[in-house]
Amino acid sequence: MDRNTFLKFVTPSIIVMVLLMVIPLFMAIWLSFNFVTYTNLDAPRFVSLSNYKEILADPDFWLALRFSFIYILIIIPSKLLLGLLIALLLDQVKKRRGIYIACLLVPFILTPVVGTLMFRTLFDRGGLIYFLLERLFNYKFLLNTQSVRFLIIAYGVWAGTPFSMITLFAGLLTLPKNSMEAATVDGATAFQKLWYVVFPHLKPLITFITLIGIMDAYRIFDPVLVMTRGNPAFKAETLMYYNYRIATSVQRLGKANAMSVLTIIGIFIVLIPFLRLTYKEQMEKN
Amino acid sequence: MGKIENPILRALVHLALIGCCIFCITPLLWAFLNSIKFPVEANEIVPSIVGFTPTMSNYEKLWLYMKGSDFVPIAISYLIVMAIIVILYRVNRKKEYLTSAKSGLIVITILVILLLILPQIAHMSKFYKYLINSVIITIATLAISISIGCLGGYALARYSGILSMVILISALAFRSLPRMAFGLPFYFFAQKSGLYDTHIFITIVLVALNQPFTIWMLRSFFKELPLELEQAAMIDGASRLQSFLKIIIPIAWPGIITTSLFTLLLAYNEFLMAKLLMQSNWTLPVAIVSYTSGEDAAYRTIAAAASVSITLPLIIVITFFQKHLVRGMASGAVKG
Repeated sequence: MDRNTFLKFVTPSIIVMVLLMVIPLFMAIWLSFNFVTYTNLDAPRFVSLSNYKEILADPDFWLALRFSFIYILIIIPSKLLLGLLIALLLDQVKKRRGIYIACLLVPFILTPVVGTLMFRTLFDRGGLIYFLLERLFNYKFLLNTQSVRFLIIAYGVWAGTPFSMITLFAGLLTLPKNSMEAATVDGATAFQKLWYVVFPHLKPLITFITLIGIMDAYRIFDPVLVMTRGNPAFKAETLMYYNYRIATSVQRLGKANAMSVLTIIGIFIVLIPFLRLTYKEQMEKN
Repeated sequence: MGKIENPILRALVHLALIGCCIFCITPLLWAFLNSIKFPVEANEIVPSIVGFTPTMSNYEKLWLYMKGSDFVPIAISYLIVMAIIVILYRVNRKKEYLTSAKSGLIVITILVILLLILPQIAHMSKFYKYLINSVIITIATLAISISIGCLGGYALARYSGILSMVILISALAFRSLPRMAFGLPFYFFAQKSGLYDTHIFITIVLVALNQPFTIWMLRSFFKELPLELEQAAMIDGASRLQSFLKIIIPIAWPGIITTSLFTLLLAYNEFLMAKLLMQSNWTLPVAIVSYTSGEDAAYRTIAAAASVSITLPLIIVITFFQKHLVRGMASGAVKG
């Protein structure tokens, strides 16, 4: 395909992305240097870096940063491990595989706010897990900072595992037969097969899941809103939720945009190695 | 991996899988149970799983403007439609790949049409309006996103210049950006231009947010297709666009359906953008959050009914297209 045809074909996508992603980014940067609330949308006041200074001096910001990192550090490995485990189990069965997959996909397709609400209901008074905890361990489940954070993370694992499971399962289906057979002939144990044959085959997928997982975990929002009922007293804010609260209840649009800019810088620092890796991989393939 | 032969171990594998399945669907089943209970029963300390009087009153309160007798005929007609779905699914299940997709599309179209004539037979509540908003936004996003995504994805699959790489990597970078970074400028822009609270603006926003993912995924599907077919067509004098529309699109359907499913989930499930850009034209996820903050027990059963109502369309779609989702991921997306 020559360059001109290429440009004709990609133009609609490019226009959409430039108009609705590049321009808003510059707008966000511009707004972040201004004092804007909902009352002076028409006349923003230039305040240079004071929005940034305010955020960096806010203890809630550092709390949110810490919780976001804890969240990512727990979610990604759990998703990968559980996903791989279930994918390996699924690979062993032929019978009823369709039904298993259908059930396992439920957390993935549920609307996040709805899934979180359903998850929370189990722990509320009158919920199944609340009841079981009380009966079996005589433990009364109460919502506080610790338990709300636990619920947010538990929901994240529950909702995130199906995607990695199905991706890894798809990877297992494409595992070359002869290398497995060769390993069997050589007398490799199940663990050796897993380590020397299956892992290398799944490695690109694991990178892919980690990449997508970090992006999604970094901007986790809906579960926080529903689990905390929008109450900041629980101190279970993530970066995105903190950003949202500044924009809505605190009503400081300029400050919220400064926060957005900070989160963008943050995600790029985390992702640059991945982006470089992807770039190299794709260049080799072409 | 090699297959386990030992029957006891095999039984254990099945047992573990059943355990995982139960773990995955319990919240949904629990919400369903709550949605057919009276508030008092849903709030009991010892939750009842069977010994309660089922009721439709929560759904009635959720969907109808005023409590009336016209709920029963609606419910019955919907049950008939559901029965037709099951029958069609049964009939088509064993047949080939595309037939099941077609029957799925037909049934979903019927359901949407039935949905649109609902206000003629009953006085619907606001929740119905939110559902229609969700449906409009989802379908519009799907149509625009997939059609421009196909063009872009195809070009990116067939052109290997440096420009193609630059576009792909920047698309990936865009995908990583937090929603709020776009949300507030969008809000600002929408307020200024008068597009606030309109379907069209949120649709375009969702198309843009979804575009990086769409072009990556579709590109990997198009890359799988052999070059010979389109080359043959072009030797016969077809232009690039003609060969794309007539030769490539018809054989790329499985990949397009898979990508559409992901787009559908994104558009239907999006909460934050709809919350920021809509004031009266709520979508379903925004509507349900308004039920979640109250501690009142009466709200809990209605919220459960709303959860089940929101999930039902997704379940119907996935029932028909689950095969495409899994197969699609196995064939293309995961190699991208």
